[in-house]
Amino acid sequence: MELEHSFTIPVPPERAWQVLLDVGQVAPCMPGATVDSVEGDVVKGRIKVKVGPVALTYSGSARFTERDEQALRVTLEASGKETRGSGTASATVRSSLQDEGGGQTRVTVHTTMHVTGRPAQFGRGVIADVGGRIIEKFATNLAAQLAGGGQPQAGVAAANGTGPGAAVPGPAAGAAEGSGAAGPAGPGAVPPPGDGVLELPVEDLQLPVRAFNSLRREGIHTVGDLSARTEADLRAISNLGPQSIKEIKRKLAERGLDLASPPPGSGPAAESAAAAAASRAATAGGASGAAAELAAPPMGRPPDEDAIDLLSVAGFPVLKRALPLAGLLAVLVLLVLRMRRRMRRRRAASAS
Amino acid sequence: MIPAKFDYTRPGSLDEAVRALADGGEDAKVIAGGQSLLPLLRLRLAFPDLLVDVGGLDGLRGVRDEGDTLLIGALTTHDEVVHDPVIREHCGLLAEAAGTVADPAVRHRGTLGGSLAHADPAGDMPAVALALNATMIARGPGGERAIGAGEFFLDYLTTALAPGEILTGVRVPKLGPGWGYRYEKFHLTAQAWAIVGVAAVARRSDGHVAEARIGLTNMGLVPVRARGAEEAAAGAEATIEALRTAAGRADEGTQPPSDLHGAADYRRHLARVLTARALAVASGV
Repeated sequence: MELEHSFTIPVPPERAWQVLLDVGQVAPCMPGATVDSVEGDVVKGRIKVKVGPVALTYSGSARFTERDEQALRVTLEASGKETRGSGTASATVRSSLQDEGGGQTRVTVHTTMHVTGRPAQFGRGVIADVGGRIIEKFATNLAAQLAGGGQPQAGVAAANGTGPGAAVPGPAAGAAEGSGAAGPAGPGAVPPPGDGVLELPVEDLQLPVRAFNSLRREGIHTVGDLSARTEADLRAISNLGPQSIKEIKRKLAERGLDLASPPPGSGPAAESAAAAAASRAATAGGASGAAAELAAPPMGRPPDEDAIDLLSVAGFPVLKRALPLAGLLAVLVLLVLRMRRRMRRRRAASAS
Repeated sequence: MIPAKFDYTRPGSLDEAVRALADGGEDAKVIAGGQSLLPLLRLRLAFPDLLVDVGGLDGLRGVRDEGDTLLIGALTTHDEVVHDPVIREHCGLLAEAAGTVADPAVRHRGTLGGSLAHADPAGDMPAVALALNATMIARGPGGERAIGAGEFFLDYLTTALAPGEILTGVRVPKLGPGWGYRYEKFHLTAQAWAIVGVAAVARRSDGHVAEARIGLTNMGLVPVRARGAEEAAAGAEATIEALRTAAGRADEGTQPPSDLHGAADYRRHLARVLTARALAVASGV
């Protein structure tokens, strides 16, 4: 699919050119984008696309493949893979600047986009339309960004209403770096759990709305409040399911924290309860499988949300298949027993 | 395919359901009959954190005669809509269109409210709601509100329902005497989505069409009214030729998709032809 957008901005080409070259400023113009890291010309990040109940997240990278200062033209290539599926999306964005005189610049954005996998087949091709509108929004955001000559991203987000809400580490976030502990942490760096972290409001963990609301109702307002609770405490809160608790643990782990462990007195008891739950889960399969997963020790890497525990999901159907085999075995055993008894009887008869 | 993990709750009252949904925010989703949502979950195109099952809210089921209007509970299944004598008598278009939805299995589980809230432009009921001037009744944390069908469908699979709101029912004005109706659906296999669908109601008087309302299925990102054809049909003679001329404007202002089932031009053509047929039946020609 090819799309073309053009707009005029009230800044001279030289200034727009500088912004256009800064991938850290261009990438966040993409609606729903989160920038994970900027290294030289390469930006790694994710794009979340939400259409009604359909939610797709692509993670990948974008980089400059062409930079022609004479023609004032840059080409940005982006490609990503669905984080929870096998689909891919890629786009080539060719932007060029034209001096219109009087400090005005005409910007042309030409986009070629490819979407593969299930999302491309879904909804009778409508995802393509959605893609088109995303690119349109990107162009609008880019126009605002360029017109501002590289103002901080917040301006664009506000202007856009449903703005990208992207956190931009690196150059654009320079101002935030001075604000100390509360500032956004650099990519990949897990800050040690300093005193300040515990004072942070729970909002800063950016939990899902439901988890956040449930916690607030329980009077949990700061990260310190939260990490003082045990997992069992959280499970007792209504509306807070295993999925949410997993998310909370993950967010805490990002800050180098964890939920409280059960008080020492009840330690062994709790552990055996967990073990019992785990064994129950193993035998019953199904619903309590989630409990077993929670009881598992925290891993260094957050568990893949989509990994399917086959035994817990399909344990019963799988076992069911083994039924005929078990039946056959039982019949064989019976037969053998019977033959042995008969032989013994015959031997006894011949002996007498 | 097995859906990604989600939490599930089945509240016993509407208030509980609204609260659970409001707490869930953007990542919570209402499930009723599940005939549209479950396929999305199984294809792993949707990843809600929480499903709020409204199946236990019996108050949202059934049809109430309110005099000039019918209030149809959101949980009323397509099959119940097809066979309900009150609906058949006063809002026959709804029953006729519901009878064309997918297959009997889907019609027995899928609900009218679910179909509207899912807002698939290829679904049959949204265009019918437009043609009937229906009003959606939604309940949220802030109480109840009514949303006209014209303002309800905002975008592809997106409605005016706020994240914490549940569609509880649909208020449909009764078609009075003199009104006729017709749902024309074009599809290649019986249970498939409409390539194009046309829902028309028309009032006839003195051998003329006095007024007409037409809703189009699958002619854009949202179900749309064929305003051009409605204008042209109003006051037109109730003859095949006159209605065909009026239907020539059926695709005005639409943006039909191009896909495996048909190019945009083909859909425009279908919209004109089907509108002429639907108008003819609706105005008793």
